[in-house]
Amino acid sequence: MADTSRDRIIRMLGMVTYLEANGPTPVAVLADHFGVSADAATRDLWALGTTGFPPYLHGELFDFDFDALDEGLAVLTESLGVTQVRLSGQEAVALTGALATLVAAGTAPEGAERLLERITGAFGGSVPVTVLAGEDGPSADVRQALAAAITAGRAVRLAYVDANDRRTERVIEPHRLVAIDGIGYVECWCRKADDYRTLRLSRIESADALTEPVSHAPSQARGFDLERTFEATVVLSRSARWALEDLPGAAVTVGDERATVTFGVTDPAWAARRLLAVAPQLVSVEPAALRDALARHADAVLAVQDA
Amino acid sequence: MAAADGEIDPAQRLLNLMLALSRTRHRLTRDQIRASVEGYETAPAGVSEAERGRADASFERMFERDKKALRSMGIPLRTITDPAHQDDLGYRIDPDVDMPPLDLTVQDAAILAIAAQYWTSKAMKADARQGYAKLVSAVEHEDGPALPFGGVSTSGSADVVAALAEAASLRQVVSFEYASASSPTRVRTVEPWGIVLRSGVEYLVGWDVDAAAERVFRLVRVQGKVKPRGEPEAFDRPATLPLGSLADDADVATATIAVRPEAGHALRRRGEVVGADDGWDVLEVSYRHADLLRAEVLALAGAARVIEPADLARSVREHALAAAEVARG
Repeated sequence: MADTSRDRIIRMLGMVTYLEANGPTPVAVLADHFGVSADAATRDLWALGTTGFPPYLHGELFDFDFDALDEGLAVLTESLGVTQVRLSGQEAVALTGALATLVAAGTAPEGAERLLERITGAFGGSVPVTVLAGEDGPSADVRQALAAAITAGRAVRLAYVDANDRRTERVIEPHRLVAIDGIGYVECWCRKADDYRTLRLSRIESADALTEPVSHAPSQARGFDLERTFEATVVLSRSARWALEDLPGAAVTVGDERATVTFGVTDPAWAARRLLAVAPQLVSVEPAALRDALARHADAVLAVQDA
Repeated sequence: MAAADGEIDPAQRLLNLMLALSRTRHRLTRDQIRASVEGYETAPAGVSEAERGRADASFERMFERDKKALRSMGIPLRTITDPAHQDDLGYRIDPDVDMPPLDLTVQDAAILAIAAQYWTSKAMKADARQGYAKLVSAVEHEDGPALPFGGVSTSGSADVVAALAEAASLRQVVSFEYASASSPTRVRTVEPWGIVLRSGVEYLVGWDVDAAAERVFRLVRVQGKVKPRGEPEAFDRPATLPLGSLADDADVATATIAVRPEAGHALRRRGEVVGADDGWDVLEVSYRHADLLRAEVLALAGAARVIEPADLARSVREHALAAAEVARG
């Protein structure tokens, strides 16, 4: 963690606030609470002892029992009536934006919504961030069943439709509900795949808790671990680049009329579907493997779709 | 009393400045700050003009940085002009900067810790970390519950969000280079009103000063840095953010779509089977955005076809024809 002046001043005010609220506290606990080493916490406390109001005479400086501090115990004897400052706008955006994103994705812990309201309320209700629900949120039933099973340590039987529209029944051992770029997933051990999986919540049709306990520990790896099979380069008219620009790792070069997007492809069929959505705006598609997938998809549509 | 014994840590100087300005009755001028706040070098006595000039300039630079740092921490530093001496600027911090009591529990702190870990880009991560430290300052340290939840943003434009969030909070005009869908890349000057997040995509809603109109900007299209223009508190933000094109207020229409058995599961979930047609199930599906439904039908690669409306059916076929043409060259 890069310790900036802002981090330090917030931490110093935080220590005064903490000690005022909770009384004498071992420096080690204070250090842990604010995520720094005991040495750094000790330096902060000593610095506070020479900080205060001009002209910095007795009673105008924060004061501690410095003998106790030498023994590793922080005892605040003069707080000057100073306390932690309110959130800045961008701090409020970062925290409430993340909390509201977790709520919208269906991956927020119990109590997150109320906490969000309290923080927003304390900020005067004017945090400049709005989080909108996506097109396909997860069903509340699925979410609740998974959250309950995770807490109870039970396996769950799912009906799941994958990205290629294949519907399967599978038994999973759910570990965590996570939001990745605003979309909700369950991290789990999948007994059908005999491997760890990250399954999109909105593709789960039903989730029924079983009585069997989970037998696999959560994976240490987070999120996806997708192997790229190749790198694709697509040229399309600039008005259509929305279809590709949010792909993870996509690089976009914009010209006057056209945009060039390069991105990693794991599943050519999946990439082909993405391209079909903006087909009239496509100029060129590389490599040939992606063109083949696109042609197959287009032919399959043309075989059934009358004009 | 000013520091004679070398420089003190910038954080300590900032804290001294904040305390001095929040307890002054009326205001402190730059000269008073320089003379009384621990951490600033006083104007040197008995030195050459040139040396004095350098010391003055160095104080001015340091003070400007510190003002900015305090503002970015959410501490509004007010500039107070003396009616008698208009050039003589003074400063004060109003007494409403304290964190209101929220009485957060250990469970609340654990939830906040998950939210604070969501952002991975440098600036948003720092904002979240600092906000978290502020909010949990008074919460008694205990091992919180291990909550089986998490989140991560991999967005490359999150630092643009951080810069715009700061400008929106300070109500400061910004400019940035923007590559829109329809017009060439050019610099936009905007009153930033608010950030909108939807399914991992970030937007800015604001007032485009040159176009004199409300605009929605997709932040992945902002190129380079967001630059503040002019002073804070330059405009008012609307009480309710106008969502413009992000508002989900399109009319609902109904399409008739045929799907193969054991296919089109997402469509089946949203729609209703109303019949069968030569081995296909016929569904009625309501929709708001024709382009999204078209993409969904196209993605099913022949396992679905549109029966009604005719223009949607035609558009699906046109897309497939265009794809076939590009794919075969």
